[in-house]
Amino acid sequence: MTTMLTSDWLLADSLAPDVSDDLLAPLYAAGARHELVLPFCGDCSLPLDLDQQVCDGCGAAEIAWRPVEKAGTVHSVTVMHRREPDLVVASDPYPILDVELASGHRLIMTTHARSESVPRVGDRVTVAFRELGGVPIPSATPAAPRHTVPLTTEARS
Amino acid sequence: MSSPDVALVGLGMTVMSLTPGRTPQELAREAVGFALVDAGLERGDVDGLLVGTSQGVRPDRLSVTFASQGGFSDLRLLEHIEIKGATTIAMIQRAALAIQAGAARTVVCVFADAPLVAGKGAGSTYAHSGGHSGVRGLERASGVLGSVPTYALLAQRWMHVTGADVDDLCAMTTTTRAWALGNPAAVVRTPLDADGYHASPMIAEPLRRLDCARPVNGAVAVVVSGDSAVGHRTRIAVRGAGREHPVRHRRAGAESWFGGGRRAVDDALANAGMARTDLDVAELYDPFSVVTLMLLEEYALTGGRPAGEFVRAGETGPAGTLPTNTGGGQLSGFYLQGMTPLAEAIVQLRGDGGERQVAGATTALVGGIGGRLDHHAALVLERAA
Repeated sequence: MTTMLTSDWLLADSLAPDVSDDLLAPLYAAGARHELVLPFCGDCSLPLDLDQQVCDGCGAAEIAWRPVEKAGTVHSVTVMHRREPDLVVASDPYPILDVELASGHRLIMTTHARSESVPRVGDRVTVAFRELGGVPIPSATPAAPRHTVPLTTEARS
Repeated sequence: MSSPDVALVGLGMTVMSLTPGRTPQELAREAVGFALVDAGLERGDVDGLLVGTSQGVRPDRLSVTFASQGGFSDLRLLEHIEIKGATTIAMIQRAALAIQAGAARTVVCVFADAPLVAGKGAGSTYAHSGGHSGVRGLERASGVLGSVPTYALLAQRWMHVTGADVDDLCAMTTTTRAWALGNPAAVVRTPLDADGYHASPMIAEPLRRLDCARPVNGAVAVVVSGDSAVGHRTRIAVRGAGREHPVRHRRAGAESWFGGGRRAVDDALANAGMARTDLDVAELYDPFSVVTLMLLEEYALTGGRPAGEFVRAGETGPAGTLPTNTGGGQLSGFYLQGMTPLAEAIVQLRGDGGERQVAGATTALVGGIGGRLDHHAALVLERAA
């Protein structure tokens, strides 16, 4: 196996997002302070998609990035078995979660740390930040471990 | 759109290759050559050219410069069409509208793609593509590499909402494979049973390798004409087309992948003056097994039955009420985006399906989807009397 530069549990530093001039720059800047900020309509406060430029509710073009509660519920979850050799450092399958945040947004995350269990749809999670190549990346921690299932389970009972 | 005058009168396909080789331009040139021979036309008879390719992983994608590269004469219609997986149907729709408006008479639509490059497997190529900016950059930094994990999330959600299970995915995959056995152009032609399916490596739960399409390097060209004096002896009339582009937002408390496609099929059928029960075959866009199941329900093709039950009962197979993806689809046939279902529909309606021919097939629904089910397109075709 090739050696990859990283301090992350999952991915190589080469996957760190561009931060400067990026649409998501406010998210990364606040993440450095362990704060989760997400975009709302500056006029009617509708939660917006991360890359949305105009509010679909009222038509306003002013985007307000605001701190939100770092908590949510799992909308969907998969376990990724394919691990691209140059990009993934983890030696086991890893979870990818699509989380409905208390703020009304949805966010794709992996878990905060290498985990022995994976939350299920409907489970609650809290949000922290992984660091990938110096960039803070939102990540999920299961809030209710008693609802989790073993990593390799494919059953959907 | 219901004018019987517009017909698909030529079809050309390259060999669908699982190994790297020719460029999209070379592949397109060959497919166009075959299509013109099939239609009995010369390049000089063509006054419209529409080109398409995937958003893709390589810079030398097909573009409007193919008009000169491909040896065409002066044209009245020339466009690059790009609506992700809905592109092919949009091309046929665009050609038909131009022909009906008098803006062109005979239009070549060509789609070429060559995602397989030397030194890398397809999965690796896709894992390395996507960039570092915007939402995709954040998703990739969270381990969403390639397109499989996104569709795995969609599949898990769909199964959670509908109660479908992995046996349904298995049934869809094995049924589609069975169709491929009769298609000489299919890239995977070995029999597959449930044991074989479950032995397939997991990529992203619940999707195994065999739940995923097989990317190929290849091209397909289709000639669309309003000139009743030219073309293949069996004309395939473009009877109806429909599109729907649901503008989705990802918010808590709501679904963001489902719904928003049925109108495309409703409109195409209304154009054609047909009902779902008039359809002899359905050729749907199936980049993943779960997508075919979702679309059978989304397009209301199962008579209200759960798609998994519909498929397990054999309704999409040779003896079923709606033979579906009769060439093995994108899963076992070949993944050339929207050209896969369109080409198979033409083959079936011409009666050229050989071992896989659906007896008496005269009408077909062709479907296309793009993005994360953000674009739906439908075409109703009928063999001209």
